[in-house]
Amino acid sequence: MTVPVAIKQLYKTYTRRRWLGKNWEKPVLKDINLTLEENHVLGLVGESGCGKSTLCKVLLGIETPSSGQVLVCGKDTARISKSEFKKLRRVMQVVYQDPYSSLDPRMTVRQILSEPLDIHGLKKDRAERSAFLSELLASVGLSAAQLDRYPHEFSGGQRQRICIARALALDPKILVADEPVSALDVSVQAQILNLLKEIKTERRLSMLFVTHDFAVARFLCDDIAVMYQGRIVERAPAEELFENPQHPYTRALLSAVPSVRAPRREPPATRQEWPEREQWNCPFAGRCPYAQPSCEKAPFAFQEVAPRHSCSCGLLPFKK
Amino acid sequence: MTGTDEPILQVRDLTIEFAAEQGRLPVLHGLDYALPKGRVLGVVGESGSGKTVHALSLLRLLPPTAHICRGEICYKGKNLALLKEKELRKIRGHKISMIFQDPSASLNPVLTIGEQLTETLLAHRKLSKEAARSKAARLLEKVGISEPEKRLKEYPFQFSGGMCQRVMIAMALALEPDILIADEPTTALDVTVQAQILQLIKQLQQESGMSAIFITHNLAVVAGVADEVLVLYAGRCMEQAPAARLFADPQHPYTQGLLHSLAPVEKKVDRLPVIAGHPPVPGEPEGGCPFAPRCPFAFEKCRQACPPLFELGGGRRVRCWLQEGKK
Repeated sequence: MTVPVAIKQLYKTYTRRRWLGKNWEKPVLKDINLTLEENHVLGLVGESGCGKSTLCKVLLGIETPSSGQVLVCGKDTARISKSEFKKLRRVMQVVYQDPYSSLDPRMTVRQILSEPLDIHGLKKDRAERSAFLSELLASVGLSAAQLDRYPHEFSGGQRQRICIARALALDPKILVADEPVSALDVSVQAQILNLLKEIKTERRLSMLFVTHDFAVARFLCDDIAVMYQGRIVERAPAEELFENPQHPYTRALLSAVPSVRAPRREPPATRQEWPEREQWNCPFAGRCPYAQPSCEKAPFAFQEVAPRHSCSCGLLPFKK
Repeated sequence: MTGTDEPILQVRDLTIEFAAEQGRLPVLHGLDYALPKGRVLGVVGESGSGKTVHALSLLRLLPPTAHICRGEICYKGKNLALLKEKELRKIRGHKISMIFQDPSASLNPVLTIGEQLTETLLAHRKLSKEAARSKAARLLEKVGISEPEKRLKEYPFQFSGGMCQRVMIAMALALEPDILIADEPTTALDVTVQAQILQLIKQLQQESGMSAIFITHNLAVVAGVADEVLVLYAGRCMEQAPAARLFADPQHPYTQGLLHSLAPVEKKVDRLPVIAGHPPVPGEPEGGCPFAPRCPFAFEKCRQACPPLFELGGGRRVRCWLQEGKK
């Protein structure tokens, strides 16, 4: 049994060609190793600009990796032919952040949901298609009567439901969700999160869930990987990560989450305070309040601190 | 909430309507509150609840289709709702200033940060350009931007989202206003940056003793900064209470629903409790409490008449028939 997604030593660098001189290069993903297990939700947490969305794009084949492998159901996405990739797209679907810009305003819900079926030549019989679409809408909590409406007639939460329905139309095994709730109101967020959890259990989906909100991650994710500046700095089962966070960056992120239940703890020291540490191997050194002189030469390496819990910080372990 | 505090801003029966094809759409119904000096009021609501319209109306920045049809906004004995445009200009940005949601969209991309900051200063104060520039540098330093002299010559695209928001705050505070209105100031930002910005606003607010109105859809954000919280729903104030009491013991079913639907960071839950249904669309025929169709406790009376705000003592007001007769 192959795992749905395995990412091995993935690097991605954006380059801009110049007429003269050296090309402009920006490494955005560095040495990413991840596996997404079956019927698991892997949460990818990090600030904007840390490479979360790029990782999604590489996984979906929108961007090509600079080096390394992305194996989806055992197939290397960079090596397979176009027709094989098309088959892979039935297995892997995506929900984006902004439900307002990811639906074509001039298409009805029926057209939106039919498009993936048309592309892959599925459910061609009209009656069968119609029944399928009604069922699909019902599964995301909308009614079949809404099939012939346009996106502008729906609220943000309902639009996100349509986006989810579109992703589910091909009955995928893997769902990539790039911040699917961060554009929504709090009360609507809860509805969409419940929905995602339900469909994950019902359809035995594996999900890559990108978010910057730890509260959301704790609710939905089975495993969590924390990203910082293109690297994964800590990886653990969700509960383990919240009970026993190890990396200083994870701890800073956790203490920054606003909460109505607990008063704010000490403010996170997460500003760029030590620019001279820029060249160190540890990407977080410039902001790390715990950094030691020994960090300067230490190589960037993962250590296992508990079963399935690994962390890239050498100053372990932190006590609770 | 000491009784001796003279309110710096008093809003009475503020009602705002939009002109639309279907006729007039009311978006704010008789909002009433007082903002004491040196306090922070948090206004919480979902999209469409009227929270942004309320913020814009305080400085009369409403779009042309909207107008204030009733009520008054009293600031130092002046009613801002009726003030002449010329008079109002002296107050906007000077006495009452505002920070908007998307910092990178609120700054002019073709002017340097320095030009934009000094513009505010030169418009309201008699200052030489050099004096304005050094004042601008001091302001940037105050909001935690290092090397202010160098940064003044830079353009907004060279700043990150959090830095842009710091510049916006510097701009809003340039003339030492009495009231700062912050409309979703951290929604577009990351959690760590959000924490820093919230802390910065709180710190500056305490240092200068100004008052602030904090508008957001996220209750958790308000919990950290506000002294008092007002919950808006469908253009009405549903509950108003001192922050600590509101979060410890919410009285209105809507507030309770909002609080419960927040995903907790402290523990894992299997299912998030949600508020069923969706908020009413403005212009729909009304009768009864706007929250009644979604309320788990609704009974006959709720569908017939909209409850008034019941005073519960301790600065607490709740718009719910369940509170009738309680003290």
